[in-house]
Amino acid sequence: MENNNIDVLIIGAGPAGVAAGIGAKKEGAERVVVLERDWDLGGILQQCIHPGFGLRTFREELTGPEYMHRFINMAHEAGVEFRTNTMVFQIDKDSNSVWTMNKERGIECLNPKSIVLTMGCRERPAGAIRIPGTRPAGIYTAGTAQRFVNMEGYMPGKRAVILGSGDIGLIMARRMIWEGAEVEGVYEVMSWPGGLRRNIAQCLDDYGIPFHLQTTVKKIHGTDRLEGVTVAKVDEKLNPIDGTERYVPCDTLLLAIGLIPENELTRMAGIEIHPVTGGPVVNDLLQTSNPAVFAAGNVVIVYDLVDNVSDEGLIAGANAAKFAAGKISPNVKKIPVKGGENVRLYSPQFITGESDTIIYMRVTHPIEGPCKVTAEPGLYTQKLRYARPGEMNEVRLKADVIKSKPDLKEITIDIKPL
Amino acid sequence: MSEERNLVEKKIICVSCPLGCGLNVILSNGEVASVTGNNCPRGFAYAKTEVKDPRRVFASTVRVEGGKLPVCPIRSKTPAPKGKLKEIAKAVAELNVRAPIKIGQVLIHNVCGTDVDIVASRDLN
Repeated sequence: MENNNIDVLIIGAGPAGVAAGIGAKKEGAERVVVLERDWDLGGILQQCIHPGFGLRTFREELTGPEYMHRFINMAHEAGVEFRTNTMVFQIDKDSNSVWTMNKERGIECLNPKSIVLTMGCRERPAGAIRIPGTRPAGIYTAGTAQRFVNMEGYMPGKRAVILGSGDIGLIMARRMIWEGAEVEGVYEVMSWPGGLRRNIAQCLDDYGIPFHLQTTVKKIHGTDRLEGVTVAKVDEKLNPIDGTERYVPCDTLLLAIGLIPENELTRMAGIEIHPVTGGPVVNDLLQTSNPAVFAAGNVVIVYDLVDNVSDEGLIAGANAAKFAAGKISPNVKKIPVKGGENVRLYSPQFITGESDTIIYMRVTHPIEGPCKVTAEPGLYTQKLRYARPGEMNEVRLKADVIKSKPDLKEITIDIKPL
Repeated sequence: MSEERNLVEKKIICVSCPLGCGLNVILSNGEVASVTGNNCPRGFAYAKTEVKDPRRVFASTVRVEGGKLPVCPIRSKTPAPKGKLKEIAKAVAELNVRAPIKIGQVLIHNVCGTDVDIVASRDLN
């Protein structure tokens, strides 16, 4: 009984899932349950102990745990139920049954009226870039090292090299310094940084940590423990240039080489995955190709800011509640969005025009000068000072503008220099 | 007759928000004469403190006894002087705290004489 009257079931209690719970309750859903595999709520923000979160939402900069503390309190007040230590291991394709596992409760089958996927993302691992050399201890993704240091109280090493300039890598460079370690340098294979400029300033420049663009780790040395890496400059095709090699002694290599939406369950449920974002294809209601299943946050597309993740969680939760109440028509109109010039990825991929919406996007190549982002035909235009792959851009679409064009067949988004 | 003025130009990146504006600061005899490149008033305020008294929020962990985790995250409640961060890091590293800990609980008053408090940034039972 307890499992058979759930209106909205949410998978993952990170920022997206907790916000989705709040959104669903506010929309009037009777029973909203959030499942979490960890023993505690908050997802990855539990280990993001640095400030920088929630400036948009709360008008102040909070640490990750502080940001989640506020949202979790709001969710409790709204009457959201949480089940921790609960792993979802299957979503059935046709019935939308959700199978869970928990040490006390055993294996259970839940049949909610709607589902919100908020599983977040995980880091690209070492195996994804196949660096030649040995495979000693001392090589971690930056987020793994972050968990060791910030939650488990272990230091991964004393002298680190960081490969990749994603924000987690930059944050970990400073974190290692504050814990008394040495950071020899940050190496980025591309000609532009992966993370935010302010993190280059406050995490590297503040501590004099060298930042090398168009440089990569070419070889790993060491038998049991990492002893050093060979770094080298790369050419335009990202291949190491002979003669530019340099040996760097280190006992730790941290990888900040990208994030991948975590969609094993989504695939199992037969939901369409976008080949570029790696997340489910969604419309502006954040509804996937399965009408009863919604998705929000980094499981859909990797965002820069948690504020955006929470915003999307609220929307997905509210729409999942509407679906559970039979308030979303199955025949809702869907206008496809196409990525035009210099658009690498974007979400959502379909627009219903049911409400105002934001299309989040990233450029393929940086434009270091005035440019503009547009949605054609004539739906939106915004001038920008620059556009960079490490910083998301937004296209804001008004529902009344979409509705005023009944013949609209397709929306094309572009970012072009002025 | 014009007074002899010592003009210095400084380029800094504003860390007040994720935009990370590149600021051009003109100092006249050590005082901020102009700031350009900022998108908002926070950038101006940041430039003023950054050239005179640079500050950062410090965040780390402290050892915990009897908690569900062996460490608890902490932060400086307000930005602390940049030049004192190393000293603050040492003071924080020497601290041991007993669970339960409440978010916002002051763990060190006036750390290293900076007038800044170190507070817990999560609940830990």
